[in-house]
Amino acid sequence: MEAITEMNKMDATFLEEAKKRSGEDLSLCYQCLKCTAGCPTAPIMDIRPNNIIRMIQMGMKQEVLGSSAIWLCVSCETCGTRCPNKIDIGVLMDALREMAIDEGIHAKEKNIHLLHEAFIDSIRRGGRVHEATMLIDYKLRSKDFLTDLVPGMMLFMKGKIPLLPSLVKGRGEIKRIFERCKK
Amino acid sequence: MGSIMDYLYFPGCTLYTKAKNLDQTARNCSLLLGFELKELPNWTCCGATFPLATDNIMALLPPSRILARARQEGTTLTTLCAICFNVIKRTNRLIQNDGEKREKINNFIEMNYQGDLRVLHYLEILKQEIGFPQIKERVRKPLAGLKAAAYYGCMLLRPFDEMGFDDKERPTLFEEFLEAMGAEPVDFPYKIECCGSFQSVGSPEVATECGYKILGSAIKNGAEVVVSTCPMCTFNIDHKQSDIKQKYLDFKSIPVLYFTQLLGMAMGLDYQTLGFEQNFVDPLPLLKEKGFI
Repeated sequence: MEAITEMNKMDATFLEEAKKRSGEDLSLCYQCLKCTAGCPTAPIMDIRPNNIIRMIQMGMKQEVLGSSAIWLCVSCETCGTRCPNKIDIGVLMDALREMAIDEGIHAKEKNIHLLHEAFIDSIRRGGRVHEATMLIDYKLRSKDFLTDLVPGMMLFMKGKIPLLPSLVKGRGEIKRIFERCKK
Repeated sequence: MGSIMDYLYFPGCTLYTKAKNLDQTARNCSLLLGFELKELPNWTCCGATFPLATDNIMALLPPSRILARARQEGTTLTTLCAICFNVIKRTNRLIQNDGEKREKINNFIEMNYQGDLRVLHYLEILKQEIGFPQIKERVRKPLAGLKAAAYYGCMLLRPFDEMGFDDKERPTLFEEFLEAMGAEPVDFPYKIECCGSFQSVGSPEVATECGYKILGSAIKNGAEVVVSTCPMCTFNIDHKQSDIKQKYLDFKSIPVLYFTQLLGMAMGLDYQTLGFEQNFVDPLPLLKEKGFI
């Protein structure tokens, strides 16, 4: 009985959707685990890369899109380089993050998503990333004020974080590109 | 030497802030080697990630805009930051090969770029355009006896098909460079492992773990110094050594230098111009002990 109820939660279209979105043939995976073995963030993922693929094959959409794993991937591409079936799992992870955002599923690794947003906004403001204002922005969003306080201070003291952003010409053009992308 | 060749240069955000010492030393070394890094005027951020999902045009626009503007100034673009290099080179390749995307991108950035720029990393210029034997001839103070571990990280090498930088699992270009400086390259199994990248902000424990493995492996194989090309890696394996020490009491810190700092030192630049004061783990005691400064 339990197995039947479980089956009802599966989304049969998820595999096709993930294949289409990523362009990767996820049916080829035979669980050799090379991806997980080489992954730098797998030790702290809730679902390891090889299991992500298996769960997609099984239609476990909510679990996969709601996982921390998709937000912990740093696109180092070690998995894709080593996959004997040429599945680029880094590409898949990026597609899954987009799918999660489209479905309105909140990122389980909330801070990483906030960092991405702070980064983009920094470019929107000045054309170049200005680390001091970007990190203050990130700290305000994440309300995590203590992490990295010491390394941050050290960088500041070594003159590596200038207080004022360098200004570039063409910021109007950048603004326009951002606005067109929103449409 | 023949006529002086100049290369268009995209520094990238970090080289104006955290990695000023990488930027400055590269510029100074170029002049000694007979070429100039011509900075692209009014450059903007490269976006720092190459979008992997197939329908993400937005993230391709910053690097495309850089490429299109660079093409108006010249034919070869070089970068030092491994992340910028990865993003810009892959975008260039995409514009070259994918007509549909090329048209979309050009519509967005209001320019017409066909993907006909050469994108080279500074190390590739040293190897392909100048030549390591020629650089060796210019070494004034060989780094004899310096056991140096070349740390590649991810972005120069992967994805292999697109980057074409060197062998995907056993690259040697960086070691050849160190040999030309007179140093002794140390081979270590973690030289192409990821440093944890931007997770050092969101989940610092990942970067601590990666850093411990990478540096520990280099030390175990006899390295006295780790050499890097990437400001992100350098942040994680140099600046974060205080975190590693806190977690692993047996960990002994090791200096991490940019490859251009070593190049400058070997070519006889005054060590006070090489920005060593910006390295987190002070390399001066080691360099003094070796008699280089």
